[in-house]
Amino acid sequence: MNHGIGIDITFLSLATLAVVTGWRVFRTDSMVRASFFLLVSFIAVGVIMILLAAEYLGVAMFFMMAVEMTVMALFMVMFMMNPAGLNPMNMVHQERIAIGAGIVGFLVLGAMALLAAFPDQPVSADLEPVRSLGNEMLGDSMLIFESAGIVLLTTMIGVVVLSSHRGRYGAAAVGSLPPGLEPGGDPAGKLEEDEEEESGGHQHHHHH
Amino acid sequence: MLLSELFLPVLMVMFMLTVGAYVVAVLDRLIAGAFGAPQAGRVWLAPMARGAWLMTQHANATEAPDWQAWRLAPALYLALAAIGLAVVPWSESLVATDLVTSVVLWGSVEALATVVIFLHGWSANALLALIGGYRYVALGLSYILISMFVLIGVALPAESLQFTQVVASQEALWNVIRQPLGLPLFLIVGLGMTFWGPLNLADSKDLAGGTASEISGPPRLVWDVARAAMLVAFSGVAASAFLGGWMGPWLPGPLWMAIKMLAVLLVLLLLGRVLPRIAPERCVTLMWVVLLPLSFIDLVWAGIGALL
Amino acid sequence: MTLTTLLLLAAALIGIGIYGALSQQSFVMLMMGLELILNGVMLAAVAFWAFSGAGAPEGQLLTIIVMAVMAIEMAMGFALVVAVFRGKQADMTESLTGLKH
Repeated sequence: MNHGIGIDITFLSLATLAVVTGWRVFRTDSMVRASFFLLVSFIAVGVIMILLAAEYLGVAMFFMMAVEMTVMALFMVMFMMNPAGLNPMNMVHQERIAIGAGIVGFLVLGAMALLAAFPDQPVSADLEPVRSLGNEMLGDSMLIFESAGIVLLTTMIGVVVLSSHRGRYGAAAVGSLPPGLEPGGDPAGKLEEDEEEESGGHQHHHHH
Repeated sequence: MLLSELFLPVLMVMFMLTVGAYVVAVLDRLIAGAFGAPQAGRVWLAPMARGAWLMTQHANATEAPDWQAWRLAPALYLALAAIGLAVVPWSESLVATDLVTSVVLWGSVEALATVVIFLHGWSANALLALIGGYRYVALGLSYILISMFVLIGVALPAESLQFTQVVASQEALWNVIRQPLGLPLFLIVGLGMTFWGPLNLADSKDLAGGTASEISGPPRLVWDVARAAMLVAFSGVAASAFLGGWMGPWLPGPLWMAIKMLAVLLVLLLLGRVLPRIAPERCVTLMWVVLLPLSFIDLVWAGIGALL
Repeated sequence: MTLTTLLLLAAALIGIGIYGALSQQSFVMLMMGLELILNGVMLAAVAFWAFSGAGAPEGQLLTIIVMAVMAIEMAMGFALVVAVFRGKQADMTESLTGLKH
């Protein structure tokens, strides 16, 4: 594929942006910022895809990831203690192993990229990528495409079942709580926490 | 090559941004005046006076905001409006970016607008702004879905995802007649996306200005200009998708396009002044229960039309 | 912009993703790692499609399927987080010890 120096410069800056923002995802204190860093990484990759003539996929990446990352940011705010990043935060386990695995993954895949010989068959200039993708999706590969749709529908049903308040046998949370030590008592696993809270309250009381 | 491919389109979009935002401000004042709202100063100068006043004002600061995101969000919204204006075709050849998938690109502008508005509300680190941001996210999803179905309906007869092709497919019959549900639904989405008039729920009065409640000075100016520019971009997309774009007798193409955009803008601004505001929770119900099924019907209608 | 540089970029994204998925304690951050891996995978698929697949349409289809997988992963992940949070008031992987015993 022949292209000018402008495309190379654009690609290099986008590649740097994708990697840096991808790295910042795990290095920022704010959860909301983390999910939007990930979005920037995705958008950079989407623009690279457009540079590669995959015009539909690149643009599809924008809107898919925009919605996904908004949802992610919302869940962050819901579940995390530190959405705004006002406190420093580092919640990791087995970090050494993880860094090692990441580096090994990069080295193996990078070695494959550098050492393996791939066939040199670039996209021909007269191919219309969007039209060919559409014909493929609703032509030869229709079964695959439609099964993806069915799987998405199944996911929706599964998600509603998993996250709904009520099930056929009562509240959804009933099964996931440990039973009480005495009939009708507090859940067994919760006892410790409750006691702590109570004693804390008592101490507070004594001070006054 | 660099001149024609990079410089001219950018210049064209910048021109549209400034002129468009000014036109929106003037038209809105004119309509308000026609309804008897008191006018301070001359209509043609008032937007500039307000702009100059905002430029000299101090930019407000809250306690520990996310500075980068807070200052970037208005600029990003303006950039999204610019992308929207860039895909609008003025004639067969006069388009800033004639991407093959420009209809999908407009869809992603709508999706990214949700992110930017949420960011604007969240990063201020203030209660009312955050509520405004959350409100927009809850509503924005339904706007995106409705707009996507309506635009797929427009792309069907064109057999293309390119706005120039969509306009070209309306040679015989405009989409506003071919798909009667399309334009009304799209106009509602437009009011929602720029949170204008009755659908101004993100920056509404009951939240003391919502996501924009804490900004003043230059960021405020950028935010207001961006909203107006987004409305212009939106009317451009609506004119090309439903009103035959540059097509029309006697006059040159770009002029027809400008007339149609102005007409859509007028309708939008008029609706913004006339319709009462809806409560956000009722708006969500309205979107999902009434308008989204209507957009399905629009798509089925378009599909049957394409088959026949 | 050659196939090699594109694949190196994909490898870097996958590497960072592996680190994130293995090291993060919070479910949502863990999912971000997975998404970053899939980001690299999609880029590699499109790069192969553009440079050594002669523009075979299946290459683009693969990317669409990966996007669908991503959506499924997100939805299921969040549903599980909601279910776990409701039961245990926790969003950390450490609190899920039920399957250990």
